Amino acid sequence: MFRSHVSVTIVRQLVEISTKHRLFVFGKLITGKRIVGSMRWESSIRPAPLLTATPVRTLVDEQTCIKASFLPSNHHVTVCARMRSDEGDLWQSFAHYNSNSGGTFDLNSDLSVGGSYSGCEPMGLFWSMQPAPGERDGLRLRKKCVESPYTVHISLLEGHVSPNQEPVKELAAVTAERWYMAPGVKRQEIRQNGLVGTLFIPPGGSALFSLFFLLFRCSNSPYHFCSLLGPGPFPAMLDMWGMGGGLPEYRSSLFASRGYASFCLAYVGHKDLPGPPNTINVGDSYFQAAFQFLQDHSHIAADKVGIVGLSYGCYLTFHTATLAGVKPACLIGINGPVGSSRELLRVNVMTKECDKDQTFWNYDDQGYVIFKQTSLPSNLYPESIVKLEEITCPLMYIVGEDDLSASSKENADLIEETLRAAGKSHLFTRLSYPGAGHLIEPPYSPMSRASFWAVKPEKLMTLWGGHPAPHAAAQEDAWKKMLEFMELNLRR
Amino acid sequence: AALYSRTVSKPNNKNPILMMLSVHPSRALMDEAFVILVQNVPPGFQVTLHALHRCEDGHRWEACAHYVADSSGNINAADDCSVGGSYFGVEPMGLLWSLKPVPGSKPGLRWVRCACDPTHSNIHVNGPQKLHCCFGPPKGPGPFPGLLDLWGGGGQLMEYRSALLASHGIASLALDYLTRTDQSLTVPVSVQTAYRVLQQHPQVLGSRIAMLGLSLGTVFTLKMAASLSPQLRCAVCISGSHIQPVSGEGGVMCLCYRNFEKISFSEQDEVIWRGLLLPIPSDPSLKVDVGRLQCPLLLVVGEDDQNWCSHESATDMKQMMERAGNDQLLTLLSYPGTGHLIEPPYTPHTPSMMVLWGGKTPEHSAAQEDSWRKIVTFLRRNLYGGSDPHAVNLSHL
Repeated sequence: MFRSHVSVTIVRQLVEISTKHRLFVFGKLITGKRIVGSMRWESSIRPAPLLTATPVRTLVDEQTCIKASFLPSNHHVTVCARMRSDEGDLWQSFAHYNSNSGGTFDLNSDLSVGGSYSGCEPMGLFWSMQPAPGERDGLRLRKKCVESPYTVHISLLEGHVSPNQEPVKELAAVTAERWYMAPGVKRQEIRQNGLVGTLFIPPGGSALFSLFFLLFRCSNSPYHFCSLLGPGPFPAMLDMWGMGGGLPEYRSSLFASRGYASFCLAYVGHKDLPGPPNTINVGDSYFQAAFQFLQDHSHIAADKVGIVGLSYGCYLTFHTATLAGVKPACLIGINGPVGSSRELLRVNVMTKECDKDQTFWNYDDQGYVIFKQTSLPSNLYPESIVKLEEITCPLMYIVGEDDLSASSKENADLIEETLRAAGKSHLFTRLSYPGAGHLIEPPYSPMSRASFWAVKPEKLMTLWGGHPAPHAAAQEDAWKKMLEFMELNLRR
Repeated sequence: AALYSRTVSKPNNKNPILMMLSVHPSRALMDEAFVILVQNVPPGFQVTLHALHRCEDGHRWEACAHYVADSSGNINAADDCSVGGSYFGVEPMGLLWSLKPVPGSKPGLRWVRCACDPTHSNIHVNGPQKLHCCFGPPKGPGPFPGLLDLWGGGGQLMEYRSALLASHGIASLALDYLTRTDQSLTVPVSVQTAYRVLQQHPQVLGSRIAMLGLSLGTVFTLKMAASLSPQLRCAVCISGSHIQPVSGEGGVMCLCYRNFEKISFSEQDEVIWRGLLLPIPSDPSLKVDVGRLQCPLLLVVGEDDQNWCSHESATDMKQMMERAGNDQLLTLLSYPGTGHLIEPPYTPHTPSMMVLWGGKTPEHSAAQEDSWRKIVTFLRRNLYGGSDPHAVNLSHL
């Protein structure tokens, strides 16, 4: 029985001399094929090891199982993942593994012994990604176009190396796709009645492509057909983000991929909104209209509409729930206040206040702004604090305990106390995650502890908080619990 | 295929039942299984799952199955019994393989799937002879073991089996080895040339190349395997035969034309070709000498094959190899109730298309699932396994 690793070493030495020439010759022979990697597994005895990702195309909140086989036994290897954001920045991660005596390893069960993460982390390669050396500063990964996937190139490298050190020897590779939209989800830009947002409808109802649909009958009544052309009705969520503005669609598209219609609503920092940019120029009637838009929609079940919000969107979630005519089926708040820190209308949210106004912005020794104090309950505008005692539906609040952008824990305490005093503790669910920061987003996504808040009139970075491993665990658990909470309150 | 999840409610009801239909994972390759789940169903509720698919050629195929929800309010196609419809019993992938053309379709349709996995790339290679083929190695620098994939007499280049093999780490070249000229089938292109192209490719490990043939493709696979030059790593023959003139031009098609009167017809006027090569001749010049084989051989046959006498041929090949003393190289997978077109799993079964292929749908679909798994295992063990191909023990298959 020949010892494979010995043979490979000898072969490698023999061919190192002629590698360059040989690659060039073959490059000419076969057209349209580019050989990847600076060197390759040169052996006429054994095929290269095999790296697989199963499934190779998934939704962003699904796990994929990465395995390698046909390696020499007890061999040092590095797995490296690389992808480009919509803006073209390169994000990457890597981890060191040892193959077992059978020449395999499996990220589901084996331990990383170094790199971007350590220990047993099946999805570690995805959530531990950071901007590659040489990329721009202050980046935050956010998918702009939800209709296209992230293409992740995963490669297996010889030895315990860093992917940026030269030379690296690539042994095997696989390309995985991570999607924010399931097949059949419909995306509609909404610009009506002054509303600025995007609506996502779960799949169903097209005669042109593959589909499953349900016909059902109960024992006493005749068949009810579901039309091939009209889906739903679906439960729905109104989805709001923070003061950063714009219109992030990626949480809504995932909700729709999980069977919930979802409407992400812009309220600041969007070109289609009225008034000066970076000021909030919409009021209560705007948010009422948004909720009613969902209730009135023909594909949505009017009494199964919930609201979710992160950061300032959390305040808007609770505030909208108390507006006239708005009766949500459930509420989810993530790392946000129960009130507003000041009279926000016509105030620019991106820049520091002028001297005569109060400000709660703090700075660390690198000059990064920390917003946490702004949302401390005692610093909130008293008239703006939402009367949570009037809430009649279940409410879930998610805390990142290392949140440096919002006083999440203090606000959670206030909500808990208010509901207890009103005899409504049974409506309240609190999730609290040590080591997690402000941006608790869909799972397996990379996190940023800090990123750019504004670039004009000068560059300003903000500290979100959180550390990669606990933040990733928080995202995974929180997402699962959010979907269960929605299932319980919007479907049953 | 793309699959969707959907919720529905009972119309004219103040408290709609919002059931949820989902598929896990949301996307899968054609040979990967998935789980179909219906949740939040009232216990004991009767439900029909209906699948509708439009092929690339525009034809529509459908299947349905009846289920009854359990006390937990869930229906899981992998665990629960279908009590009626296109299939019965516990069949996780039944809605796919039991798809049939919708009523009113043109008769004799065959499921057509030309699109490949997007990461599979095609190149057209030009050697001294012009070759039309589809080659898609797995991603990465390689080298990978290679495979020459020969389809049947249908003549059309089908790329998806190559794409599936690439996802299992095998660089597969699907060769279009037939051209239709003047209404006859000839083989102008040398299979040997295609083998050499594969062997010389920088991403292919030249010392580990296998061949896979279906139907007419098995003829050339067996010829190559028995010729010993070049030495194949292993061979897979699906629904084929070893009967042919060993030398000379024209090959098996000449033999077919000579025995034309042995063709019969079914009650629906479908052509049954299987009698053409029967009875199995005892003249060795009419058969590939499988006793000369030195590489492992996997034979996959359907016992209800109405197109080729593959079952009888396989039995004869086994006897030849036993007499020659190399039968330890042979693995024979023989499936009752299974027809001619044994393809990768979960594709719908076509019992006939003007020509009778044979097989009953549930048995044929089970055979496709089982044989594909065993073919992939056989190929991986022989192409990736230890240095001595004879040492690979496949008695567990």
